[in-house]
Amino acid sequence: MLKRMTRLVSGARQLDPGRFLHGEPQAPQSLAAHLDNQVPDESPRATSCTSEDDPVRTFNEACLMVRKPALELLRYLKNTNFAHPAVRYVLYGETGTGKTLSLCHVIHFCAKQDWLILHIPDAHLWVKNCRGLLQSAYNKLRFDQPVEASSWLKDFQTANERFLSQIKVQEKYVWNKRESTEKGRPLGEVVEQGLTRVKNATDAVGIVLKELKRQSGSGAFRLLVAVDGVNALWGRTTLRREEKSLMAPEELALVHGLRKMVRNDWHGGAIVLTLSQTGSLFKPRKAYLPQELLGKEGFDALDPFIPILVSNYSPEEFESCVQYYLENSWLQHEKAQTEEGKKELLFLSNANPGQLERLCAYL
Amino acid sequence: MAAPAVKAARGRSVLALGLRRAVPRLPGLSQVRWSRYGPEYRDPQIDKEYYRKTLAELTEEEKYEQELRKTQLIKAAPAAKTSSVFEDPVISKFTNMMMKGGNRVLARSLMTQTLEAVKRKQFEKYHAAAAEEQATIERNPYTIFHQALKNCEPVIGLMPILRGGHFYQVPVPLPDRRRRFLAMKWMITECREKKHRRMLMPEKLSHELLEAFHNQGPVIKKKHDMHKMAEANRALAHYRWW
Repeated sequence: MLKRMTRLVSGARQLDPGRFLHGEPQAPQSLAAHLDNQVPDESPRATSCTSEDDPVRTFNEACLMVRKPALELLRYLKNTNFAHPAVRYVLYGETGTGKTLSLCHVIHFCAKQDWLILHIPDAHLWVKNCRGLLQSAYNKLRFDQPVEASSWLKDFQTANERFLSQIKVQEKYVWNKRESTEKGRPLGEVVEQGLTRVKNATDAVGIVLKELKRQSGSGAFRLLVAVDGVNALWGRTTLRREEKSLMAPEELALVHGLRKMVRNDWHGGAIVLTLSQTGSLFKPRKAYLPQELLGKEGFDALDPFIPILVSNYSPEEFESCVQYYLENSWLQHEKAQTEEGKKELLFLSNANPGQLERLCAYL
Repeated sequence: MAAPAVKAARGRSVLALGLRRAVPRLPGLSQVRWSRYGPEYRDPQIDKEYYRKTLAELTEEEKYEQELRKTQLIKAAPAAKTSSVFEDPVISKFTNMMMKGGNRVLARSLMTQTLEAVKRKQFEKYHAAAAEEQATIERNPYTIFHQALKNCEPVIGLMPILRGGHFYQVPVPLPDRRRRFLAMKWMITECREKKHRRMLMPEKLSHELLEAFHNQGPVIKKKHDMHKMAEANRALAHYRWW
């Protein structure tokens, strides 16, 4: 869930399996911003698991727990063959087990390895509660979402500033009678155009996706496509047209572009996806398997993918998490430090990371 | 009053429940008003440790106690009381007072959000402060809660006493439970009424608790007002006869 995203700080500390640090969610904008501020001599800061908008305020640190699913993914990514088509990895599991945080860990790793990160923090936000839908100028049958597109472009710009000047557009794009982007101009100009003319923001996003897909095979950069809540692309929307009839997701230009991006017909990178029931529409609460959340259409579209199960904490992970909270004095209740208290926490949360975080917030 | 007593006795034998006779509430005479249980009912034993003791560990008295409880009638344990290690009777009572329409789930979630908010605010202050001040900043929301309520308790209260056709506000000493009740009641009323329409209860309540912890804020002012009124009406103290 978007609210539970973490703030990753690029610190000097190596993330090796022995280190159990605990992470907390944060807005993706800050994620992007932090990845840019590479300060090697700054001491790594840990965060608490908070659902605040600005978690670092509470703890002055940003930490992640290094867990098996993330390590498995990192191993696969390190051994990717960039000549083969992009492999799709799908993180699935019950609510609150840590899929989004594992995704963040992978993004952090790839960012440190200088990949180009295409990160959609929550695809569900593109299919519900959108104001200001416009009919697309490019294709009359599709709809634009200027607000979501422009906010995504801003995040993309902060995250990948260095690449925007390096990558050159390979086609001429005409925006309107007076403005156009020539062939050979840097991609940054397209992004600027999308940000200044909000009406063209969705088209700018489409162009960015198309260009990146085309040029990822060239070897100049490695592309990581990270989408959280990918089941939104094949679900249902709650958006209506002017005639008050419901819209299908393929009629949204952003969703259409993203579906093309998630296809494995390009090479030179990897695609990491997360399923999420928490923000999903019209899906039962207990559903967590790929077949249930993606539906037939989505499953067939993603078909050859590597599923990675993210489960609740193992006893060592739980112990480590509680130890982390105790070290940072997050668990203030006197009884929480006793064995009885820990057993009770284990019982109440069932070793579910999200539930444990919510419990420890008020203890 | 033969008729009500007979009716009550009949009621008792028919329902096999202990019904209390209605006794007019006199000041100075404590009574549980709404309990449907008779005096022979014992309170339930919630403590886990009591049941974990094996037969060998029990003393003579405890063995006798256990045998006795097998024959006695025991009240039903309330749903809100748990054998959790984190349970706090004061927090429980405060949650009950905040509850509206029996929605304890909502009241409890508001309470936990308040504690979380208090904790976060204190953590922020902690990280912003210099090293010497960090030792003075209290981060435990439970100690802050208890201390704040203790600070809000009035020492002396006023009671309307009828003399010569007029009610006079007479200063009286308050029993402990009345003081605790008044502190909680004032806190909740203050937070419900004096907040902006869009502000949420946890935010306002956490703010008020922190102010009361530092002996500032409107609830403390109300306590001081009560003390001043009592001091002003000092002359009427002889109207009290207990």
